[in-house]
Amino acid sequence: MSDLLADDPEWADVTPLRQYENVNPIAPIFYSEEYKDATDYFRAVVKAGEMSPRVLKLTERIIRMNPAHYTAWQHRYKTLIALKADLEEELRLMDDIAKEFMKTYQVWHHRRLLLTAINSVDVAALELIFLRDVLELDTKNYHTWSYRQWILTHFNNEARLWAGERPYAEQLIDADVRNNSAWHHRFFVVFSSGVRLGDEEREVVLRRELSYVKEKISLAPNNASAWNYLRGVLEFTNTPFETLASWVLPYTASQPPAPGEDVVDLDNPLPSDNAELPCVAALEFMADVYEKQGGDATAKAVELWKTLANEKDVIRKKYWEYRIRNALQKS
Amino acid sequence: MPTATQGAEYSPTPIDGYVTPTSSLQASTENIIKSHIPPGGTSQAELQKRSHFEFLLRNLRQGFPERYTSQDASQPWLIYWTLHGFSILGAGLDDQTKKRTIETLLALQHPDGGFAGGPGQAAHLLPTYAAVCAFAIVGRPGPGGGWESIDRKKMYDFFMSLKQPDGSFLVSHHGEVDVRGIYCLLAVATLLNILTPELLAGVPDFLATCQTYEGGFGNASFPGWAFAADDPESEKDASASFDPTAPRPPLGEAHGGYTFCATASWIILQPYLNLYYARTGAFPSPSLPRQPQINTRGLLRWCTQMQGLPIELGGFRGRTNKLVDGCYSWWVGGCVVLVETLLGIGAQHEPPTEENVKDDDSHKVWDDVDDSLFNRQALQEYILCAGQHPAGGLRDKPPKPADAYHTLYCAAGLSAAQHRVIPSEARRKAVISAWNAEQARAHDSTGFATASDAEREKLDLLRRDTFAHVLSWTEEEGTALYVGGAANRVNATHPVFNLTTTHSDGMLAYFYGQTPPSRMPSRPKA
Repeated sequence: MSDLLADDPEWADVTPLRQYENVNPIAPIFYSEEYKDATDYFRAVVKAGEMSPRVLKLTERIIRMNPAHYTAWQHRYKTLIALKADLEEELRLMDDIAKEFMKTYQVWHHRRLLLTAINSVDVAALELIFLRDVLELDTKNYHTWSYRQWILTHFNNEARLWAGERPYAEQLIDADVRNNSAWHHRFFVVFSSGVRLGDEEREVVLRRELSYVKEKISLAPNNASAWNYLRGVLEFTNTPFETLASWVLPYTASQPPAPGEDVVDLDNPLPSDNAELPCVAALEFMADVYEKQGGDATAKAVELWKTLANEKDVIRKKYWEYRIRNALQKS
Repeated sequence: MPTATQGAEYSPTPIDGYVTPTSSLQASTENIIKSHIPPGGTSQAELQKRSHFEFLLRNLRQGFPERYTSQDASQPWLIYWTLHGFSILGAGLDDQTKKRTIETLLALQHPDGGFAGGPGQAAHLLPTYAAVCAFAIVGRPGPGGGWESIDRKKMYDFFMSLKQPDGSFLVSHHGEVDVRGIYCLLAVATLLNILTPELLAGVPDFLATCQTYEGGFGNASFPGWAFAADDPESEKDASASFDPTAPRPPLGEAHGGYTFCATASWIILQPYLNLYYARTGAFPSPSLPRQPQINTRGLLRWCTQMQGLPIELGGFRGRTNKLVDGCYSWWVGGCVVLVETLLGIGAQHEPPTEENVKDDDSHKVWDDVDDSLFNRQALQEYILCAGQHPAGGLRDKPPKPADAYHTLYCAAGLSAAQHRVIPSEARRKAVISAWNAEQARAHDSTGFATASDAEREKLDLLRRDTFAHVLSWTEEEGTALYVGGAANRVNATHPVFNLTTTHSDGMLAYFYGQTPPSRMPSRPKA
């Protein structure tokens, strides 16, 4: 038996609408028979403005063949609302589609519309759990992260939603210290989305975050994600880079410190034994410190930028030379 | 010509003896890319123009295989990627192809304005941009030329119907908000002369909130604390309860695609920012809102940080600690010149005249021919050695297949690395001196009515300055750089629109009713 709508008595009352009439399209796509059939009927449905249970079946069919068909999603959403459908059931139906097509915008936006309409913190909390499963498949999936951050801000419940987020980001950073999405999430939770419950003492938060990121840098010093986090924290809190200069200096040396050379200072961890030094990000950091100091220190910044331009980071030679020109113009 | 990476070892990204999933994937990718470094060095790398032509021609004439069903809601994109690919590679189109393309595009115009991803689909900002760009390539004034058939009044109404209280736009009805949509809308509104203060209200403020602590931009920001409602489905007027002190956090990390879209939008908005906001500095006007700020230095740092190491052949990545991908050659590599422009770096050098040649300093400036702040040479090496698929078309990275999207954005990235196209103050002045405000106003089809004569004059200035600004982008003489030799030359592309200036100039002149002075003939390098 054919699986086409054209052979289905349920659809006998609808005249399918071909995609192009009287046009010989340039650059056409060679669709499968099933896809062509479904979208021909879908065009007719949209034109007639039909919103019925069979439209839900049809749009699901199209979405499974092409999850980027935003009009199918749009019409499906309108139909769900018009039919007063059970939206939580819709969420569950969409779970496997979300996992299978996690790189598609519409998959996530549909859930956002559903969550908005359901308007329940309980459902939002369950959704965060579901997203943990999804992010396990791809810990850097952009849409999933962006959607997770929207859930947190939209429902904005400290105890039920926000409370688990910093530990969650930490868990992912522990699993892969180079996961930039997890670092961004931490910054989002701790800084850019305002002040979390228990985080009201901002000095304490600053010390905690600096201590955290310094430890992660010491584990694997050549990790741009961690350095960007460090710089971001300092800039966001208007903390001068200079306050960390003495901690950064050992990362600009050409060798990790010999064991036992220094007293262990948990607040200022030294580069690990396997660190490949000097670390480019540390050289950059110190140059920023010297540039800010100005005066005689400018020459020290220029030296570091020259080292970066000519030896340590030659791919960015032009950028480092620009930094030199810019600093000399200012001084 | 020495290669960019000559003398440097192809040393791997340092991992400090600390292996994680990210470093493992990075290391295996580096090994693959490294194996594509030609034994004789990269300076002999050849752009396989013929096989790329054939790839594009096959897609255009015969069509796309079934796996492109995923692009069924992006049909204008398939057309734009293919046609602009031809433009960059230096091929014109025959009249029959143009005619067929115009007919196809017109079948995608939505009855209520804007363009859809396919016939019978809903209008959407992204296909609208792709369709209008495709029209710039194949269309012309007059009957059958396509341009007259673009319903700009309905397009404007469609745009306004997507507007949100925080200044952003949905990409489609019931769709999401993100900066790709903003860029597409602004590029189209600029090309079609439908910019108004009503359309642009709050857009800069929204964009500024999308910049993350890393310096690049994320896909959107959360409006709900500042604007009471973040629910686009909500009917209530949230603008009534604006709280300027509430955080509007960025959603999603800094990303190459969004960073390009936000930066190009910021460039388009410069005239609007200058006219409708108080300038920062000594004499802020109390009656105008304060200009929102972006961190341009942080943005420059982020963009340049995205360029890969010599072992990655200097390709660009789209996020910190992710893999290089040919498409970011354009999204990030092509973004650098936009950021340089915002910082005022390397504005077009005045060509030497008898007067300033006497001046030693200006002579020095003229000698320094390349102000680009990314490694143009290395980026070309990536595209030529890793980005080309042996069977034609360009790609993300080996061993991936070629596709229509990567073919365009690798080609555009190659173009951005070969040519330095920047605003020319001389050209901007020339365009302004030939400006006809009445014609431009007569070509306005938005139906937007200004409240006073002063407001009308301000809108005239917005139109004029925007028009002159986008028309002023010109290739800086003597700065072209072709890895592998001049046979690898591709055409320059406009850094804001990603169209050749021939195509964007033609469309702009038509929709603003202007006859801008012709571009200067190429002058030999001094």
